Amino acid sequence: MIKTEKVLHLKSSRGRKVRVVREHYLRELVPCYSSLCQAECANEGKVLSADVTHYVVPDAGVTRDFMEILEFREIQGLVFTQTACQAVQHSRGRRQYNRLRSLLKDPRHDCVLFANEFQEYSYCPREKGEPQDKWQTRCVYQAAVWYHDHLAGLKPVVMITEDQGAVAEYSSLNCGVYVLSTLEYLRTFWPELQAAHELYGSIAQALRERGNEGTEREFAEHLPAEVLEAGIKSGRYTQGTLNVNKHRAQHEAFVRFDGSSNKNSELDSDVLVWGGKNRNRAVHGDMVAVELLPKGEWRGRTTALTEGQGEEKGEESQGQPMPTGRVVGILQRNWRDYVVTFPPREETQSQGRNSLRILATPWDQRIPKIRISTHQADTLQDHRVIVRLDSWDSTSLYPNGHSVRVLGRAGELETEVQTILIENCIHIAPFSEAQLREMPASSPERPWTVDPAEVVTRRDLRDTHLVFSIDPRGCEDVDDTLSVRSLPPGPQGPRLELGVHIADVTHFVKEGTLTDLEARARATTYYLADRRYDMLPAVLSADVCSLLGGVDRYAMSVMWDLDAQTLQVNRVWYGRTLIRSSYQLYYEQAQALLNGEESIEKTMEDHKLSHLIEALETLTQVARHLRAQRDQGGALELEGVEVRAQLDEDKNITALVPRQPLEVHETVAECMIYANHWVARKIQERFPQQALLRHHPPPRQEFFTQLQDSARALGFTIDTRSNKALADSLDQAVDPQDPLVNRLLRVMATQAMSNALYFSTGACPVDQYYHYGLALDRYTHFTSPIRRYADVIVHRLLTAAIAVEEGARPAKASASNKELEEMAQHINNKNRAAQHAQKVSMELFQCLYFRDKDPETAECCDAVIYAIRTNGVLVFIPQYGLKGALYLRNREGQVVRVSQDGRCVWEAGSLQRSLDHVSTTTASGTSTFRLFQHVTVRVSVQTSRCHADTLHLELVSNRAHRAPEPPDRTPRAAPPQGTRGRSQLVQEVVRQAEEALLQAEEKKGRVSELSKEEREFRQSKTPNLYSLLEEVREQALLDLTACGAVGGGPDLGTAARPCATSA
Amino acid sequence: MAGVELLSDQGYRLDGRKATELRKVQARMGVFAQADGSAYIEQGNTKALAVVYGPHEVRMSRSKTLHDRAVINCQYSMATFSTAERKRRPHGDRKSTEMSLHLKQTFEAAVLTNLYPRSQIDIYVKILQSDGGNYSACVNAATLAVIDAGIPMRDYVCACTAGFVDETPLADLCHAEESGGGTSLALALLPRGGHIALLQMDARLHQDHLETLMEAAMTACKGVSKVLDQVVRQHLQEVSALTGE
Repeated sequence: MIKTEKVLHLKSSRGRKVRVVREHYLRELVPCYSSLCQAECANEGKVLSADVTHYVVPDAGVTRDFMEILEFREIQGLVFTQTACQAVQHSRGRRQYNRLRSLLKDPRHDCVLFANEFQEYSYCPREKGEPQDKWQTRCVYQAAVWYHDHLAGLKPVVMITEDQGAVAEYSSLNCGVYVLSTLEYLRTFWPELQAAHELYGSIAQALRERGNEGTEREFAEHLPAEVLEAGIKSGRYTQGTLNVNKHRAQHEAFVRFDGSSNKNSELDSDVLVWGGKNRNRAVHGDMVAVELLPKGEWRGRTTALTEGQGEEKGEESQGQPMPTGRVVGILQRNWRDYVVTFPPREETQSQGRNSLRILATPWDQRIPKIRISTHQADTLQDHRVIVRLDSWDSTSLYPNGHSVRVLGRAGELETEVQTILIENCIHIAPFSEAQLREMPASSPERPWTVDPAEVVTRRDLRDTHLVFSIDPRGCEDVDDTLSVRSLPPGPQGPRLELGVHIADVTHFVKEGTLTDLEARARATTYYLADRRYDMLPAVLSADVCSLLGGVDRYAMSVMWDLDAQTLQVNRVWYGRTLIRSSYQLYYEQAQALLNGEESIEKTMEDHKLSHLIEALETLTQVARHLRAQRDQGGALELEGVEVRAQLDEDKNITALVPRQPLEVHETVAECMIYANHWVARKIQERFPQQALLRHHPPPRQEFFTQLQDSARALGFTIDTRSNKALADSLDQAVDPQDPLVNRLLRVMATQAMSNALYFSTGACPVDQYYHYGLALDRYTHFTSPIRRYADVIVHRLLTAAIAVEEGARPAKASASNKELEEMAQHINNKNRAAQHAQKVSMELFQCLYFRDKDPETAECCDAVIYAIRTNGVLVFIPQYGLKGALYLRNREGQVVRVSQDGRCVWEAGSLQRSLDHVSTTTASGTSTFRLFQHVTVRVSVQTSRCHADTLHLELVSNRAHRAPEPPDRTPRAAPPQGTRGRSQLVQEVVRQAEEALLQAEEKKGRVSELSKEEREFRQSKTPNLYSLLEEVREQALLDLTACGAVGGGPDLGTAARPCATSA
Repeated sequence: MAGVELLSDQGYRLDGRKATELRKVQARMGVFAQADGSAYIEQGNTKALAVVYGPHEVRMSRSKTLHDRAVINCQYSMATFSTAERKRRPHGDRKSTEMSLHLKQTFEAAVLTNLYPRSQIDIYVKILQSDGGNYSACVNAATLAVIDAGIPMRDYVCACTAGFVDETPLADLCHAEESGGGTSLALALLPRGGHIALLQMDARLHQDHLETLMEAAMTACKGVSKVLDQVVRQHLQEVSALTGE
């Protein structure tokens, strides 16, 4: 047992002063975590390196206010004291403290925590009447002295503080322990670290300004935390996340509840927070407590569309009154880094001091303007700058912030792309030297080869199996390959062996290595419209892990022993293998082979080619069968709008091309879904508490309202009670005249979906494991470890599961449920950010594409109306996969009238809206716009200095646009709509027939071969969710929310959710 | 809301202990001359006083007399000044009645009551200062008092609490840890045979973790028993030295 010492602490709680006595145990052996330690401390984990010139100990004030500077990776040898950490926790809250903790855990940062208050000799009790900050400084100094003595004076120790008194008091007490102010420290030791100096200046300025605020109160004070907590418990206040309406950022915000905390059962919708006063300094994303206003003051959400920067007009069209409230307190700030644009000189106002306080406009419209004090206002005008928020007092109209880093001039491509990354909290630094050193060596001259010792431990499939891969053209990171062969017949009849072989990334990326940590932080590969940021270094993702054709590679395999007739699974084998991919096909090529166009590969030997074609055919058949099985379970076929930008060498957009689906996409996708499903079953069975799975919760019924209303306008009924019913009714909602109708309805259904999410099995009851979209009871991600970190975790789990089964205990205990759940959250967040960034970057390129065109000559295109608003309609442009708002009333109150020849003119008049059409009445006549009517629109770009550019649509004619596409511009455009519609119809019929067939056959217990005709007819099937993600890999656009986001008020339900479903 | 961090990343608890370390235990036996047996114990800042009278004839209602063994009568109370806020604590409130019952059950399991048929043993325990683990302090104090009274027992009864934070079992919770909202398990053990005299747990706990938590509590109880044994031996030495003179 260890000696004890007792200390008195004074503490007050519940407003009353209470004297609380706490014990405090001290010990002699507190690890110092320095590699120079002479006393043999029990240093486990991260230790400070010995090759720095000094160690630096920041005091509590510095840690609290200047943590951002200490986060620079260049500053090494940091010793945080426990005193300073606790000060951060007390004064800055959990968020900041967690940031400090993750800094301490991050092995890339050379910093440690020294528990000085538990060390017998470095602890100093607080004296009577001593102010807290003085005591903290004394503690930190004492700790610095102890640290210096503990290391026998081998390293000088520098303590940095902002307290000039402390500098004077302590600096000459001990030799070897220096006390400096932060500025002096930076000047002396890091004169070349310009960024740190600038950051210091900007933070210090912001701190100085904070002191002298006006006294006039602009907002009501927030209630103290205890009152809020009690109020939430009693049901008086409600807790939720604040969502600001992007299109009415000044006025409209909604509070969405987290399901569990909602005690008020009658509140099943969001709460509206109207106006800046009621919002009371809450910023988008904050966790707030709201109090409901009396029913008399309730308001409806605005249903009119607003034009870009349209002014609010007196007369507002409102929907049904909904619960309205005001923010009484903020439970958790959720501030991140924001990108702002500095205004040009004429707009800045001088404050009469030597510095300027500037109101900068954030890029994100939902964030209020931020007040920044800076000396650099002149040089920074029209630049985009990263800022962080510091505070928002009740006396100030705007929040205070400080600048962190300059991105560049607004409007330049590089700046804009960086802006997108920052706004989505994606921070990507190039891979470091140390990380690259961990990589296996491989160069064109001396390619990487397999290790003979490793070969013995793996199942060798090089000679026995015909393995091939099908990927997009030009794909470098091949992470999945397939194989199929027939086995000797068993007792039940002939058997097939289907194999899915996935790149064995975990063999190269061991848990806890620097590369692993970096990959974990990135969580996914980021695909923007014109570039990508890999999760793993290129040597792995494009070479050593990539399952390229003709070379030996390690793989992780799942192999099914199937009955050739019924496709019943006899046995499943999981394990590590060694493969050599024979063919590296791309989709179009594979499809051509299937179709019998043999002209493509002359180089292949004939007998091998026939083998390949045979395998492809078997595979297609298996995939169809699997798909039919899932369809019976209720798998949804959803539609996203996919367009990809074709770029030339200078990264200029040459065309926006919609994707064309092939059946082979689906074949590959189906095999991958099957593999994911079986792996999910396996790991869930083996680790019921800590397996990483992916689920897709059923959507909330109220989100289907728009879909149902639109469908009703056309006379279809959509049954949304279950996924099977939804899939069936979507299949029936086909308008023979207009194939787009079905497509649009599917898009709307997709929007209503919630996101599929990763989760840890211990954190969720079993009945919530269900994947709604795919209609599977267990699902995970296993097949793309090169570009998704979740797959890497699943690979590790699967390896551990195999090891357990073979009797060997896993070398390390797998992550606990809690860690895994945290990890799942992290990956979910990153995925969302990645999708959003991709979408925004695609929009950026769309704008660039349309900007380069001459607005006058820009040709018009066809659009379909899919939703009705009070002053306009929402349209979808199939040619570009665009969605946007079309205004029928302009700012002067004029409305569109359609003349006899279909041309449109603006005239004074009125606008009438009903459920399925909107009509404009003017002196010269009435014109009506119906749901799903085709119109012609012209696309132009609306530029904006502070925000992203947006596209503007203008009505040209109320008839469908018939001009044929010039063939040279969009070489791979979709086939003419008519044929597509027909083929879709055929496909529906065929599939229903097939399902019926399958049901009948299941009764009889046998399955007959599908006829060749059926195979041919089915080939234009629309892509499912999985193949959509495959498209993402080709940098295509997964734009599922745009229409909701443009819509403004009424469909906030969808607009507020950052991204839509994906499998 | 933002709860305090009960276990830091470095493995320290709020008061500087590691997860398995106990608070400092100090105890004295024979603090009162009038009583048959008495003891005082400090477990960290939790301080308890125990007094034992008996065995004597049954003074309560006659009907309670047992023919084959002694009746054990326990009474638990807390001083008004024992917590941070001063509070009058009348006799017989629910909490102390429950605690009395627990103590009674514990000692019925440990004391060799069948040696004293038709008699009664009174155990009175008072918490002077409360800082978490009241029950275990009471049990430990009462054990010493019973030994001081010279009443034969099967073994020491040692009690200790254990909690569960971040997948780690914590031994001997202090008040701040107990009120943190986590699980708390109280265990009274007869350490030599490993028999459990009483086990009590209030909050929810996943059944997978129960075993590790029990293990931690048992280890802690054994630690306590060592200290108690030392105290008894030292007391005996002092007493024998006095009588020897």
